[in-house]
Amino acid sequence: MQESLNAIVSRAAAELPKVGSRPEFEAAKARYVGPNGELTAVMKTMGAVPKEQRPAMGRLVNEAKAGLQALLDEALRRIEGAELAARLGPPVDPTLPPPDAGPGTYHPITLVREEMCRILHKVGFSVTDGPEVETEFFCFDALNTPPEHPARDPQDTFYFPASARLGNVPKKVEGERYLLRTHTSSVQVRTMLKGPPPIRIVSPGRAYRRDTTDATHSAGFHQLECLYVDRGVTVRDLKALLDYIFASLLGPGTKTRFRPHYFGYTEPSFEVDLSARHLPKVNKEWIEIGGCGMVDPAVFAAVGYDPEAWTGYAFGMGLERLAMLLYAVDDIRYFYQNDLRFLRQFA
Amino acid sequence: MKLSLNWLREYAALDAPVEEINRAITFLGFEVEGTQVTGAPRLDGVVVGEVLERGKHPNADKLSVCQVDVGPAGGVKTIVCGAQNYKVGDRVPVALPGAVLPGNFTIRQSKIRGQLSDGMMCSGREMGVGDDHEGLMILAGRPGLGLPINSVLPPGDTVFDVEITPNRPDCLSHLGMARELAAWFRKPLRYPQVRFAGHPAGAAPAAHALLASVRVDAPEDCPLYIAHAIAGVRIGPSPEWMQERLRAVGLRPVNNVVDVGNYVMLEYGQPLHAFDAAKLGGSRIVVRRAAAGERIVTLDGREHALTGGMLVIADESRPVVVAGIMGGVNSGVEAGTTDLVLECAVFNPLSIRRTSRSLGLASDSSYRYERGVDSEAAGEAARRAVDLILETAGGSVVGPVHRVGSDTPVRREIVLPTGFVERRLGFAIPEPEMRRALGALELDISRESAAPGGGAEWTVSIPSWRGDLDRPIDLVEEILRLHGTDKIPPSTVVAPGLPGEDDPVVRFNRAATAYLVGHDFHECVTTTLRSARETATWVSETAAQELAVSNPFADDQSHLRPTLVMGLLETLRLNQSRGVAVSRLCETGRIFIERNGHNFECAASAFLIAEDASRTWRRREAPDFYTVKHHVEALAAAAGVNLSREALLPAQGPYFGWQAGHSAVVGDMAHGWTARFGLLNLGMVRALGISGTVHAGIFAILPEKLLGGPARRRYSDFSLYPAALRDLALVVDASTPAGQVRDAVLKAGRAAPAGAFVLESVGIFDVYQGANLPEGRKSLAFSLVFRASDRTLTDDEVNAAFGRLQEDLARNTAFQIRK
Repeated sequence: MQESLNAIVSRAAAELPKVGSRPEFEAAKARYVGPNGELTAVMKTMGAVPKEQRPAMGRLVNEAKAGLQALLDEALRRIEGAELAARLGPPVDPTLPPPDAGPGTYHPITLVREEMCRILHKVGFSVTDGPEVETEFFCFDALNTPPEHPARDPQDTFYFPASARLGNVPKKVEGERYLLRTHTSSVQVRTMLKGPPPIRIVSPGRAYRRDTTDATHSAGFHQLECLYVDRGVTVRDLKALLDYIFASLLGPGTKTRFRPHYFGYTEPSFEVDLSARHLPKVNKEWIEIGGCGMVDPAVFAAVGYDPEAWTGYAFGMGLERLAMLLYAVDDIRYFYQNDLRFLRQFA
Repeated sequence: MKLSLNWLREYAALDAPVEEINRAITFLGFEVEGTQVTGAPRLDGVVVGEVLERGKHPNADKLSVCQVDVGPAGGVKTIVCGAQNYKVGDRVPVALPGAVLPGNFTIRQSKIRGQLSDGMMCSGREMGVGDDHEGLMILAGRPGLGLPINSVLPPGDTVFDVEITPNRPDCLSHLGMARELAAWFRKPLRYPQVRFAGHPAGAAPAAHALLASVRVDAPEDCPLYIAHAIAGVRIGPSPEWMQERLRAVGLRPVNNVVDVGNYVMLEYGQPLHAFDAAKLGGSRIVVRRAAAGERIVTLDGREHALTGGMLVIADESRPVVVAGIMGGVNSGVEAGTTDLVLECAVFNPLSIRRTSRSLGLASDSSYRYERGVDSEAAGEAARRAVDLILETAGGSVVGPVHRVGSDTPVRREIVLPTGFVERRLGFAIPEPEMRRALGALELDISRESAAPGGGAEWTVSIPSWRGDLDRPIDLVEEILRLHGTDKIPPSTVVAPGLPGEDDPVVRFNRAATAYLVGHDFHECVTTTLRSARETATWVSETAAQELAVSNPFADDQSHLRPTLVMGLLETLRLNQSRGVAVSRLCETGRIFIERNGHNFECAASAFLIAEDASRTWRRREAPDFYTVKHHVEALAAAAGVNLSREALLPAQGPYFGWQAGHSAVVGDMAHGWTARFGLLNLGMVRALGISGTVHAGIFAILPEKLLGGPARRRYSDFSLYPAALRDLALVVDASTPAGQVRDAVLKAGRAAPAGAFVLESVGIFDVYQGANLPEGRKSLAFSLVFRASDRTLTDDEVNAAFGRLQEDLARNTAFQIRK
């Protein structure tokens, strides 16, 4: 009996490593340990073994059984491994480029706009939006721009015919004309008309001026304007905001300065200069970057705020100009041509 | 405006270096666009020398070896010189070793062709004085030997080109800017001495035949007109000092009378005009509106047809001046002129501006009138001009001073509580400094009292030339300007909590762009204004009309864009033409959609996918209609619109830029949103010069429809029991949209379980047309998922429901169940 058991195990040890597929394996398994298998047959002869030899024989049978099981497990592991390996193709060449176009890219104007919005978000500004086709009231009248002001001249501003009807931009004043907004300040007017102060908003968006397109000008461009209206807002607060914005954008060493200037909707008004010599292609100590000032009382009057009770500041800048400065781009037209070789540089 | 420093110094002792004056102008609120220095630069080590001997250079024909005496600056020097225009005894500039000439050229002792040279004799150009390099500068008047050359050469001038903001017309003059600079540098301001005093009141002489009367027919456009008649002038060149100043600021000297007019304009900011009295028809001047059809040839040689509203200065029969803008040749001062009428007037800025615009005629005079002149200064400017004419051209004032109108505007006063300044600035400026700033600008404090809330209250009287000052805040600006806007103390931003959420449009734009960029699209920014032809490709003629701006600047930028796709196509074309492989482009921005004669401004997001021309080592499956449908659904979702729930039909014409049969539309402005997507018209794409096919999609929505956002979703329970699956194939007309068939299956499938369980979903897993099917028919295969919320379904109950579903379809539809 011992010989039979040894013979079975050694046959299995010779055969099982050669079994290559699952059906072969199942057949072999049945042959050795199945109900009609060889081991089962040997076990059936146990009855004929003398009683005193049975424990020793039992031990031998169990050893054979365990040996067979180990051989079977090993074979199964090998077959399963081969099956998984068969699912794989040849190994990849990781140095080949992906055949898909991409990755996608954000436009540099978007990148600059979003960065500014994030910076302003941190100090409590929320982002507003408004129509690009505006009426004279929102673009000029409410911003203290008298009817004969040169900025309103058809030489400088795009108008629509008197017959033009905008379904979702109602006129505020009867008979006023529709135009393409010359600045995003119109959004400030709309926001102020919607509700009482305090207001702390930033309005980025397109603006339009009737201008020749050249390396630094475009008829359509992007602006970003901030407005803060509250009690006791001061010039010093405005300067603090500008210092904060540009230190956040360009590093703590960045300085800003105010130069007095004139805008109809702010008083006093300033132009903002930036000192950022560490930027590439900057060869001047001070670069003009935007305009700002304290909201003119006439603007508050136009939107029904009490100029005695409320004060505020406004700041505006061109996003193209900022992008040109940050990325050292020297022609504004690249922003609208969207040459892929340009767009890919900012991702 | 060009401002000469020498001229400014006439009125204030501006002794600060040029850079500081430049900075002062800047911080007073005027942009210095350029600074031009004329005359000699600083030339250390260049002195006066005299040529004692001039001998031939032993080794060079064209060179001389000279002995030059520079007196106390170094005695006699040996200098090699190549110039030919001098002789022994001439005094010339000598640059000694160590001197640095313009261009960073350092003079050293050196050997020239073997001959030692101990310095250099200079031409004008070598010293940066003028362009003369014909030879040495021979110094006239035998200046002292060894004197620094700067003490001998005429002093230079510095000319600032300054942009004057429209609120400060008073600074369109040297006197005005000198007032600002005097205030900045704390110097007194010296006004010109005016000698001519007119005639004492009540003692006016009788009218002179040269100018009998002045009549103003349009006083609202000409509130003040002052005319002096001057007889017996001699026209000639104006004095050198005056010519020099005019040239310095870019004006060409003409003759003494014309130059005086310009000089006084640049001094006071008040335009003047002199005309030849002999050329006037009659001896009367009338300020009136032009009659339609009148013509005038202005001094620039152009003829203008005048229209009714334009203000002119006329003699008895014809206009002789386009008022405030330019004189006519018919009355111009020229060489033979002996008698003058000198006009000094105040005109309505709007009248001048309109006339200037409509004639396309502008001048230094109209520039100032458009911005407003100081009416109180007109009389003084006129007398100053009389002084200068009499001084430079002789003659005498004859007859009375003709003065029509008024020069006394209302005196304005502003009450300024001193505490107001600090409240607006956020920091304190000491009271004496505020007082000094106002005083320096001639904003005199006429009264002082106690302010109601404590502190002082100043009543400040505003001079006539400061029309821009009206309210206390305006005075805050004046005080801050003189304090220095660069001295605003630093501070931190005080930011109480975020008061508002970002605008829904902003959030939609962000979400849409993030989605598209995340799906390998390149975000573009294209122009809003497009050409008429391009617009006509995309919308009807009536719609295009509504999109047109009335005053386009360029022909190809005349219409608001009705779709973003046009800009993306242009970008695609540009990249292809430059040989840049590009396939996926997107843009998010405003578009304008016409509906029933109204334009609607919409927030929109669009993309295109062009056939990828780039060769890659592994080909991907080409994008198709369903690729763009997928992306459009995502864009709609960013706006809170579930596109899969919307009735979506193949687009009906007109298709415009889209390909019939290969594009779809859903929604319209009545919904407040619309989506369009599919293949772009093949012919249009080819006509644009684009190779390959292009798929595109756009989603547009009214901004107001984005307000509010979707209602908060409620969780609904789902079953944990297994699903029962059944497949169903239906043969339908090839033209029947799959969505319609699916809807029918859904409807029947919802009824079939009779409430015992539910049809959870219906998917389409096969669309087939071809062999085994009749012509014009297609087979659609649906996978149905049934499930109960409370148990595992048995085959029997599912089969029963599935049977009822099929019976229902067989009874109620023309669809044929495929076994």
